Amino acid sequence: MDEAITSLHSAPARVPSRAGAGLKAVHYQTIIDEQPDIGWFEIHPENYMGQGGAPLRYLERIRSDYPISMHSVGTSLGSHQPLDTNHLNELKRLVDRFQPGLVSEHLSWSHGYEWYTNDLIPLLYTEESLKLVVTHIQQVQETLQRKILIENPSSYLQFKQSEIPEQAFLVEAIKRSGAGLLLDVNNVFVSCKNHGWDIETYLAPITQEMVGEIHLAGHAIQSLGDQELLIDDHGSPVCTAVWELYRHCIDRLGDIPTLIERDSNIPSFDELQQEVQFAEQYLNSYREMSHVTTG
Amino acid sequence: MSPLAELQQAFCDALLSPEVPAESLLNELVDDGLALQRFNVYRNNFIVLNGDALADMYPVIKRLIGEEAFRALASAYVRLHPPQERALLLYGAQFPPFLESIPELSGLPYLSAVARIEYAWTESYHAEDSAVLSEQQVSTVPTEALGSCQLLPHPTLHLIHSDYPVHAIWQANQADDCNQVISLDQGESHVVILRPDIDVEVREVSRGAFHFLKRLQLGESIDRAYEAASQQDNSFDPGSFLTEHLFDGTFYKIKPSA
Repeated sequence: MDEAITSLHSAPARVPSRAGAGLKAVHYQTIIDEQPDIGWFEIHPENYMGQGGAPLRYLERIRSDYPISMHSVGTSLGSHQPLDTNHLNELKRLVDRFQPGLVSEHLSWSHGYEWYTNDLIPLLYTEESLKLVVTHIQQVQETLQRKILIENPSSYLQFKQSEIPEQAFLVEAIKRSGAGLLLDVNNVFVSCKNHGWDIETYLAPITQEMVGEIHLAGHAIQSLGDQELLIDDHGSPVCTAVWELYRHCIDRLGDIPTLIERDSNIPSFDELQQEVQFAEQYLNSYREMSHVTTG
Repeated sequence: MSPLAELQQAFCDALLSPEVPAESLLNELVDDGLALQRFNVYRNNFIVLNGDALADMYPVIKRLIGEEAFRALASAYVRLHPPQERALLLYGAQFPPFLESIPELSGLPYLSAVARIEYAWTESYHAEDSAVLSEQQVSTVPTEALGSCQLLPHPTLHLIHSDYPVHAIWQANQADDCNQVISLDQGESHVVILRPDIDVEVREVSRGAFHFLKRLQLGESIDRAYEAASQQDNSFDPGSFLTEHLFDGTFYKIKPSA
């Protein structure tokens, strides 16, 4: 049965330079019934690591109508422990079966002990970590037989022992491993605000050829005394400031496939689609503008 | 141990503990006067995200004990049983016995069995797809040999017994607006959970049918399973049970006894 399914998708369907949406179980039926005009969908492969049943069945159906991207949350690239080969093999099984256009993972760790945090914990930015992350990215790429994208994290704390600025660490990890960058614009905004980093300095080393995908999401604001901490909860629409930063990034980096992420307070599909269209409108107007300037 | 390994282990220890993190960990954090609060965001996320996974797995338990009590129990559970896997699909396997171990819940003696129904539901939901028994498969077996055959229940099938009416409790709490009163005097309940195709089914069956399926699941022949079931329930009629359920997804294979 597996063989027959694998042969449905003999090659990855390219993720187009359009806006896409995170695929949520509550929206499966709407998407199948209404076939909305959306460029692509993204999934967390960990949600499809069951042996069978509805999630895989729906994904198979949706994959036959749309390109998909796989955004892993469980590889723990920054963990001091070896990567979990069972998890990697599960990931490979899904990648082989569904042939996603893009595969990505976070610059973070979630496995520090015998158990898993299931949350993305920031790294210590040292040469030791850099070597480890590069080795782990290469191992994932070798297993999957393809290039992956690494996402810049959102974070709420920094370690004193860190010696390398996050953006330099990220760019160096990408260069050494041959991976690409998933630029999460909301994470840039959240981390820069939380740590008092300058956004332009953060973006400076990032070039067009590195970036394979952009993420947009909402964040929450938590008061800590007289200060504010931004929490990357993917629980609300993208805020105005992040939309502005997005336009700035597109103007600099080009019309990169853009995902609207939503992982809590999931809205109706219509509402989600409106945000997707908003991003798409900007990608379209960027193309028109650049056509005018270059043509 | 490398500085990275040491830091990651100390960080994990502190996530798991409800106490203020060790000074040695806090000293590792860039301090703008808010280092502790910044760390607490991670600890809170760890408890809440994994607690959310439990809440998704056990919606009926949450309804039965209320949001606040559920959250408190979930936090304690996450600390006692942090996730052992990267995928959270089946996180919460130890929750039913955990509920039994909580003295404050001893007045709700049915709770653990309801939780077992919910866990079995999820296991069945994510189980490998399997075909169901077809008439064609059965037609290859000579009638006189049927009784000595193994009749294997569907691989997604789970059996749960409780001295309390847990099927009725589970059923009544599928809708958010139900306020049905269920008397515990209704007595014991035998529950079958299975997924013949894409939808998980939760059924109440007779005591005899429950033991019949249980024996068949162990690989015993139809005759032997019937014998054991009728000792438990002398009203059990395998003929009418099989007429109703042989091809409805309850079974997936028939084969001569080994």
